[in-house]
Amino acid sequence: MGPTLVAGVVAGGIYGLLAVGIVLVYKGSRVLNFAQGELGTFALFVAWWFIDRNDFPWVAGAVLGVGASVAIALSFERLVVRRMVDASRLSVAVATVGLFLFLIALEAFVFSEALVVLGPPISGLGPKVFDFYVGPTSILSLVAVVAIAFGLAAFLRRTDFGLGVLAASQDPTMVRLVGVRLSRVSAFTWALAGGLGAVAALLIEPTIGVFAPGFMTQFFIRGLAAALLGGLTSLPGAFVGGLGVGLVEAFVGRAFVQSGVPGVRTMTVFALLVIVLLVRPAGLLGKTAR
Amino acid sequence: MTQRQVRILAVGLAFVLLPPLLNRVTAGWDFPIVGRTFAFTDLRALTLGIGVCFAVAAISLNLLMGYAGQISLGHAALLGVGAYASGAVTARAFEAPWIVGMIVAGVAGGAVAFLLGLPALRLRGLYLAIVTVGFGFLVQDSLFLWEPLSGGSAGLELPRPRAGTFIFSRDADYLVLALLVLLLVWVVDTNVLRTKLGRAFHGIREDESVAQSFGVDVTRYKLLAFVVSGVMAGLAGGLLGHLVTFVNSDTFRYEVSLSLVVMVVVGGLGHRAGVVIAALFFAALPRIFVFLKGYDQLVGAILLMDLMSRHPGGLSAAFREARERRAVRKARTAEQDDEEEDTALPKLPSLPRPDGLPARPDVAVGKALLEVRGVSVHFGGVQALDEASLDVPAGSVVGLIGPNGAGKSTLFNVISGFVRPDAGTMRFLGTDIHGLPPFERSRLGIGRTFQLIGLATNLSVLENFLLAQHIVAGYGVGSALGHLPKAARVERQLVERSKLAIEALGFERFTDTPVRNLSHGQKRLVELGCALVTAPELLLLDEPSAGMAPAAAENLAVRLGELRDELGRTVLLIEHNIPLVLDVCDYIYVLNFGQILAHGTTEEIARQPEVLAAYFGEAVTPDKVGV
Repeated sequence: MGPTLVAGVVAGGIYGLLAVGIVLVYKGSRVLNFAQGELGTFALFVAWWFIDRNDFPWVAGAVLGVGASVAIALSFERLVVRRMVDASRLSVAVATVGLFLFLIALEAFVFSEALVVLGPPISGLGPKVFDFYVGPTSILSLVAVVAIAFGLAAFLRRTDFGLGVLAASQDPTMVRLVGVRLSRVSAFTWALAGGLGAVAALLIEPTIGVFAPGFMTQFFIRGLAAALLGGLTSLPGAFVGGLGVGLVEAFVGRAFVQSGVPGVRTMTVFALLVIVLLVRPAGLLGKTAR
Repeated sequence: MTQRQVRILAVGLAFVLLPPLLNRVTAGWDFPIVGRTFAFTDLRALTLGIGVCFAVAAISLNLLMGYAGQISLGHAALLGVGAYASGAVTARAFEAPWIVGMIVAGVAGGAVAFLLGLPALRLRGLYLAIVTVGFGFLVQDSLFLWEPLSGGSAGLELPRPRAGTFIFSRDADYLVLALLVLLLVWVVDTNVLRTKLGRAFHGIREDESVAQSFGVDVTRYKLLAFVVSGVMAGLAGGLLGHLVTFVNSDTFRYEVSLSLVVMVVVGGLGHRAGVVIAALFFAALPRIFVFLKGYDQLVGAILLMDLMSRHPGGLSAAFREARERRAVRKARTAEQDDEEEDTALPKLPSLPRPDGLPARPDVAVGKALLEVRGVSVHFGGVQALDEASLDVPAGSVVGLIGPNGAGKSTLFNVISGFVRPDAGTMRFLGTDIHGLPPFERSRLGIGRTFQLIGLATNLSVLENFLLAQHIVAGYGVGSALGHLPKAARVERQLVERSKLAIEALGFERFTDTPVRNLSHGQKRLVELGCALVTAPELLLLDEPSAGMAPAAAENLAVRLGELRDELGRTVLLIEHNIPLVLDVCDYIYVLNFGQILAHGTTEEIARQPEVLAAYFGEAVTPDKVGV
């Protein structure tokens, strides 16, 4: 019970990060970013190259990985998204598929096509709570997720630019009129998406220990479900959705792991999603549009 | 079969038989000096074959996304369903022939697509897209790995088809079958586009309310789009399975669904030929770029991003733009003839009732055609309609006036079925229409226009008139898919009738112009024409004169009078143009804050001061100025 709960909450928080990345880009550019997960895998590879191949400390490698992912996201925004302001949103989404495929190819080409191993940032069993151990990576994840969630919320709600980002999705013209540059909003949301994808990947990788190109796709799917559960435009909703997906997946997975039915976790996540959407088409915390 | 069709068929068959011929003739065409072979080898046939399978899949997805506007990001799962279904019946246990396997593949694909379509009835856009991602993942990650269902992770072997003792083991021979399936799917897809199916799909893509107002059962046609697309996807999957002879859950990864979307968007959403070319190109890409040695995927992805950012509409849009640029350049050199928009006042189409509509009871002139009793509607805390009642007598023009926000358009939406009232009853032609969906009311004979133009603006004027006649296109889905004589005959009649209506409006030169390129006043007239083309019993007009030139509005009054006097039609009219209302209406209802404030003949209403006050604001007379 205890370990499942911890695993669910940790995974849920990380899905929440991915969901926030998806929601931010959706708010900023009205686009579903298919590369959201893979930006994280790319960061992982960069981190792995520094840590595992060049004996950098984990933190240094992680920071460089996040930087690389942010740089790619920013370049993509500058070179592709911004040139497509007037294009249909589906075309932009297809361009993000292009980025997704590009990142996979780049990882395979520059780093490795096969599985690579990256150890956890902190080794050891971690502190004992009641009768089980909470791993140090789990603690790191929790701290990071909570810090990012509150930091982001404070930034978006307390600063003028942050409010501009939130408002841009509702009324771009008004936001321009009060002096916020939409191109900066767009660049900011993409940079943040790159960073969040990278952090999510760095935090979730230790639970598995190995990765390969395309690694984050499975988590991206869960991030999508989380974003949708939360209502696609709501940032708190994204975290609520993430926790929902993480917990349901952890507990159902534990209950049915013996049943021999493959993919039972995926099945549960999407059963949950479809049920919620059929009852509340706008998601849990989404505003009903009329 | 006409001569033209026979010719096309002959060319198609010759084309289909080409690969095995080429394969045998060119065998051994190796040129050691150049260091490569020019033979149509089996490897090349295999590449082309995979391209053909993806072309079929891309046509399938194009039907769903390009025509009906429903996004599917889980299409690879439908391909997989087809492959596994065909594999199940053709494998060792049953040894059913290939053709049976393919039929089973199509049926299974269609059935699963029906299930996938159910959420689409409630979800739209991105929500639907993500649910389909989930569906694709679910099927691939779970069903295709489930031992008792699909043989588990070991995968499934599919035999090559055989005819007697001949086995299609050569890839070039199998290509014949693949091309035949492509031909079949291509023809069916063409038939979809030239019948009411394609128009209904387009209508759903453009605006579901408009489609409903033209009598399209949106639920039914959405599911139909999913099923037809699913059958095609199932065929594509079966075709692919028997070509590569081994599938497992990895064959139908999420990335395959994404590539299909890429093919459709790159080829040009809704453009069959572009989509097929894109599919063939994508399959051949690794072999075209073989000289790039490892860079091929990198280059492919960069090309994709570059193409999208330069030409978001895909290849077909890029070609079209280039063509248009050339045409513009040519036109500049030619003499300009700037024609002023003509000011002739068009007539409205006055066509007799078309065949194929259900019998309607005759209502004597002056008897109530529509009775609305005590209708209430609230949106959240706002009472939009409060116990509103009105009667529309047959053969009259009834005006509905009131200030902005009075609830006029809400009342229209209640009458045409888009808004379900909290209370109240409605009878039309003596029958209770309370629970009927909009498309059923359209069939019964309630036509309407919208305050904001209710047309499919990306379709041409002619296509809009054809869509508007959806309810009289009395042929079945099968007849449409096969373009059987009955469908062809009805379609000819519809086109004829549309042309008459367009002629009445004087819009012949706009026949093939997309509605979005017309001026506002022209759109209004087209909308009116579309509403009239099926000769509805009752016509609901929501501010028809808005945005019209004054002369055109006057003409409208004359035309509406003609509709009533010469054709005995009934009109319920929302209008802010009071002179027009006073000019043409027999009876007027005044709505304010959701309540019927007053009603009476035009003369009575024109005299009531409280009506004028509600409408024009309190009159400021000297004795009311504070003393």
